[in-house]
Amino acid sequence: MIQDHDPEIRAGEYVLGLLGAAETVAFESQMAGDPKLGAAVARWRERLAPIDATAQRFEPSAGLWLRIENELGVISAPLQTASSSPATGTRIAQWWDNLWLWRGAAFAGVATAVLLAIGLVAALDRARRQPVMVAVLLTETNVAAAVVNTFADGRVELLPLQDIAVPQGRALEIWTLWDRATGPRSVGLIDRARAVPLRLDNLPLGTDQLFEITVEPAAGSPTGRPTGPIIAKGLTARRL
Amino acid sequence: MAVNAAQSHGTGIEQALAACAGGDKNALRRIYDQECPRMIGVAQRMLKRRALAEEAVQDSFILIWRHAGRFDPQRGSGLTWIYAILRNRTLSILRDEKRMETDESPIAEEAASEEDDPETVMAKLSDAKALRGCLETLPAPRRGMVLLAFVQGLSHGEIAGKLGMPLGTVKSWIRRSLLALKECLG
Repeated sequence: MIQDHDPEIRAGEYVLGLLGAAETVAFESQMAGDPKLGAAVARWRERLAPIDATAQRFEPSAGLWLRIENELGVISAPLQTASSSPATGTRIAQWWDNLWLWRGAAFAGVATAVLLAIGLVAALDRARRQPVMVAVLLTETNVAAAVVNTFADGRVELLPLQDIAVPQGRALEIWTLWDRATGPRSVGLIDRARAVPLRLDNLPLGTDQLFEITVEPAAGSPTGRPTGPIIAKGLTARRL
Repeated sequence: MAVNAAQSHGTGIEQALAACAGGDKNALRRIYDQECPRMIGVAQRMLKRRALAEEAVQDSFILIWRHAGRFDPQRGSGLTWIYAILRNRTLSILRDEKRMETDESPIAEEAASEEDDPETVMAKLSDAKALRGCLETLPAPRRGMVLLAFVQGLSHGEIAGKLGMPLGTVKSWIRRSLLALKECLG
């Protein structure tokens, strides 16, 4: 039970890393709309910074800079969002970027996998109906866990390719993200890995749109944002 | 000493961030040369394993590059901004690793280095006078909790387990410690 009435103390707990996953997400969205809270966080970071300065220095392994450079090569120029992005979206976008980059997943690997997926989907799709766009959702280890197909008539479906272990009392929630400023939206909730139509309704749908699956409480994420571990994710690509 | 060195380079970091926002990769390399060894140290205190620590640092440099344009010098120093990115990234790797429960031994069970022990960290804080002085006003067990959270990334529950104290006590002691630090540091 963390009391909400002293935002300064809550900001301190956030900087200490003591908020749980769901609390962190809630706190960060609150901070996005509350500059005072952002300032409180900044104060704690400055206050505690001398502790980080006591850390031992370790020589990086020889390949580290090269790995960074390679990854930079794939993502190219920095995002010029300082002026164009509304302040309210920044925190969520930042948080999302963390997911986006999880565990240093190679973007190049994803691109290759999307190409692979086109062949894979052809095999899956025995029906005459061909999807217009496809997203292959990859696990952290670049294993294809599911495919999202989008059809010309607006239907969108998720087809699992792997059995996914869902803990008791939890469910798999499917999310899409088309605009970082808006943040991810839930488009489906399933109790286990099974084919399911996704509810995109009026949400936009285009290429390079992110779909991802996270583990959430059985009734879905309590915050309306992903809170649990990411099982798999991928970007939509247009079929040839 | 580390603190003083870091502070004297502060403006350099801010200039380098501005150059990164303009697409200058050499500027990112300058930040890397100056901060990477200590960033690995900060991440390793929490993640224990060098490979994971380097992964956190790698991700952080990508995030620094992508978001350099968002850095606002009005809201704090460039160095603090960089370490905030590193800490967020490190904590999410730490929490993910714990959730994934791979068959490798969990991070939580790996022994922390004595270097990362709260009182050792306190001893190293000598140069940062204000923070050290304020931490010293707290009873040792209370400042220990704050340091275990910040340095090793332990959760309330892990701190309670480690110290053999009830969870509620840990939560309220940390809250009171934060209140005292806020009063003391202003």
